[in-house]
Amino acid sequence: MNIYTLKSSQLAEFFSQLIQSGKVVIAPVLKKSGKVFFEAVKSYDQVATDYIQTGFSAKSVVFPKVEELFSFERNDDSIEITNNLNSIPETVVWGLRPCDASAFNYLTEFFLRENPDTYFAARKEKTTLITISCAKADEACFCTSVELNPGSTAGSDVLLTAMGEDVYVEVMTEKGQAAIETSASLFTPSQEKSKDEYLAKLTAVFSMDEIKERIKTAYDNAEWKHESMGCFGCGACAFSCPTCTCFDIQDEGTQNKGKRLRCWDACGFGQFTKHASGHNTRNNQTERRRQRLMHKFKYSVENLGIVSCVGCGRCIRVCPAHLNVFENILSVTK
Amino acid sequence: MTNQYIPYKMRIANIIEEAPLVQTYRLEFVDEKDAEQFSFKAGQFAEYGVFGEGESTFCIASSPTREGYVECTFRSTGRVTKALANCELNDIIGLRGPFGNTFPIEEWYGKNVVFITGGIGLPPLRCVIWNLLDQREKFGDITIYYGARTVNDLVYKDELEEWKNRGDVKLYVTVDPGGETPDWKGLVGFVPTILEQNPPKSENSVAIVAGPPILIKMGMPILGKNGFENKDIYTTLENRMKCGVGKCGHCTVGKTYVCKDGPVFTYEEVLTMPAEY
Amino acid sequence: MIGFKNAIYKLPVPCFVENTAQIEQLIFTPSCQGNLAVYLHKPEVKAAKKVGIVANIATLRSVLQLVSENQLGDIEKTVLTINAQNELLVFNNMDELEQYVQENFPVISDEDKKLLDQVNAMTRAERWQFWTEQFSACVKCYACRAVCPMCYCPTCTVESNQPQWIKVSSETTGNLEWHTMRAMHLAGRCINCGECGRICPVGIPVHLLTAKMNQDIEAEFGAKTGFSFKSGYALNTFKPGDKEQFIK
Repeated sequence: MNIYTLKSSQLAEFFSQLIQSGKVVIAPVLKKSGKVFFEAVKSYDQVATDYIQTGFSAKSVVFPKVEELFSFERNDDSIEITNNLNSIPETVVWGLRPCDASAFNYLTEFFLRENPDTYFAARKEKTTLITISCAKADEACFCTSVELNPGSTAGSDVLLTAMGEDVYVEVMTEKGQAAIETSASLFTPSQEKSKDEYLAKLTAVFSMDEIKERIKTAYDNAEWKHESMGCFGCGACAFSCPTCTCFDIQDEGTQNKGKRLRCWDACGFGQFTKHASGHNTRNNQTERRRQRLMHKFKYSVENLGIVSCVGCGRCIRVCPAHLNVFENILSVTK
Repeated sequence: MTNQYIPYKMRIANIIEEAPLVQTYRLEFVDEKDAEQFSFKAGQFAEYGVFGEGESTFCIASSPTREGYVECTFRSTGRVTKALANCELNDIIGLRGPFGNTFPIEEWYGKNVVFITGGIGLPPLRCVIWNLLDQREKFGDITIYYGARTVNDLVYKDELEEWKNRGDVKLYVTVDPGGETPDWKGLVGFVPTILEQNPPKSENSVAIVAGPPILIKMGMPILGKNGFENKDIYTTLENRMKCGVGKCGHCTVGKTYVCKDGPVFTYEEVLTMPAEY
Repeated sequence: MIGFKNAIYKLPVPCFVENTAQIEQLIFTPSCQGNLAVYLHKPEVKAAKKVGIVANIATLRSVLQLVSENQLGDIEKTVLTINAQNELLVFNNMDELEQYVQENFPVISDEDKKLLDQVNAMTRAERWQFWTEQFSACVKCYACRAVCPMCYCPTCTVESNQPQWIKVSSETTGNLEWHTMRAMHLAGRCINCGECGRICPVGIPVHLLTAKMNQDIEAEFGAKTGFSFKSGYALNTFKPGDKEQFIK
């Protein structure tokens, strides 16, 4: 790890140099609706700075909402299959929160550890993550409950923490170093400093160890029904979530010419587990909501050793019924 | 890193109409190189795709001891299977695979093997059956219990005759009461009933049960009553699948991905899973 | 009993009370946004047979509309509201409910009126540009459909794949098709609660589409949605006095 400081007034210059270096820069942008979303930008003045959290995560950089797996075309005797994985640009994601950066660690383990996914791998390789620590949080944030914190470096290539007139810069990887090098003169090497006074203060709502233990016997808890009654079965939580990875595979076009795509899917949808025969293994919304929470807090721990929830709070904010994941978890593990 | 989503191109080399709405396709690789590097073991499945319509998951119904082709047996149920059924000889479809785990056939050398299935539960087991019959001397008694709703619904009718006439396979073929034709010479009765009336011996035996959930529900207790231990009973689970490689999330039962941790499980393993299958 | 309760994150959330011990959580304040009528379709609620619902004006209108569409026959419902004078009202029958709604019929909010006027003032090309831009952001989460009390089809058109009427993936034209189709299915049925637009996770003002449809339907057919539980559905009811200016 290399540590630097940068003058706050020069943050815009650093940003401009990243743009000049030819990389695609994805940053939070304030939209007309009042919500903030990650978008490709061309200058620092497009970047939103005064907000708690973006509406959707940055996972679409490495796991887009629609990804073309291949295109095909029938010719005389056979079918030609074309796969366009080569045209992915060097990309910098600016302004993630530490919870989001940690989510990238989970995504990497999930997609690459077993049966590695070529599409994810190609995109992740071209992506640099420049994260900004959180000075503020709201009632939906709960990163400290899932063993993260507003100044965590997990998953980041570079972590920036605002400290008054200076920005404290922690460079965690070679990719991060390469990003710094685009404007090396702006950065002054520094001693390690404490970030505590500049970070949001978040009291944990539960102990992760306790939850991991109690959730082992939570499957048959009668409270699931009550906690899931408000759930409509839409995909808002799964789509906004930085660690949800379920997808559908769809063919579009005709049998003569078209493409095969993968697109985001959600276990909350009624049809997610429906067989062609009509048999549905999770036939009601209680079972589907239970699946989502059990997966985040138990199954991903059993399969990958990681709790896949990062406490970003997006699911609570976007849910039309404002279902609260940590309230639900506490209730079913009582 | 191989791209798990690009299919092999397969030419339909033979079509057999097995039963109403059920067909068997024999597929050959369009590309020689693909044929050379492709290999699979009994129990594995593949994603069979009609370009422009989608993919459907079926077991590989032919035995790995027979090289150069791959067979699948399927019933026309939804969009993709209907499109598949509309394909003709020499059409090209896609195949991705082989995926999943395998039946531990080597562990069964010297043992008696019992197959219990019904309807289109036979295709995944047919792969295993031929795999064993092609090395018959390595196994003890081989017993097959198979039934369908009516005589017409029985699949692999020719092969059932072949197995009956071999002399080294004990075969019970039955149709549901009311499903027999006037010239039907086989048994009449539900598979679990036939199983109960002619129980297999459990000593030094393994059992493989596959088929509709009701068969599994009724068949397992009968085996248990006759001395089979849960670790010696195997089944192959089905679930809605898309990617086949443990990523898309559709086939999960608890923490288990049926596509990559299965589809072959012992009954002992199945009992540890939540009942979401 | 379906109502609202306080929650940790900002707004009151839907609350389902099954015994007297849980009643204390129920609240009803102007910040109780959300149209609870959508839960009347939930199988778990229908199974309860006797259902009570604490309704704001949007929910009351939804109940009227749903009754006129024969959707609430199988449950015994008790509908409650709290009026502007902070009194608890319990409606004994649909006529009482209808009277209350007609006396307190809501007007469109200033914000929505402004936005609707803006869109109405656009040229056709500008409107196309406006909506294609909006719908390029749609991710097909179907939260708009999920939260709407009028979207109660057991199998939605988009869930059909034989044929695949609307494509699954999110892409501007396909998204436009989805939203236009939904607006058509809701024309003359939507009661303008605005929930679909409020909860859209990417901030698309989806509710304006159906608000506009309803403006047109009121102009052409004189029909107001969520006004009476006896009214038919404008697009499938023939009246000799219909203007029929669109048929020439």
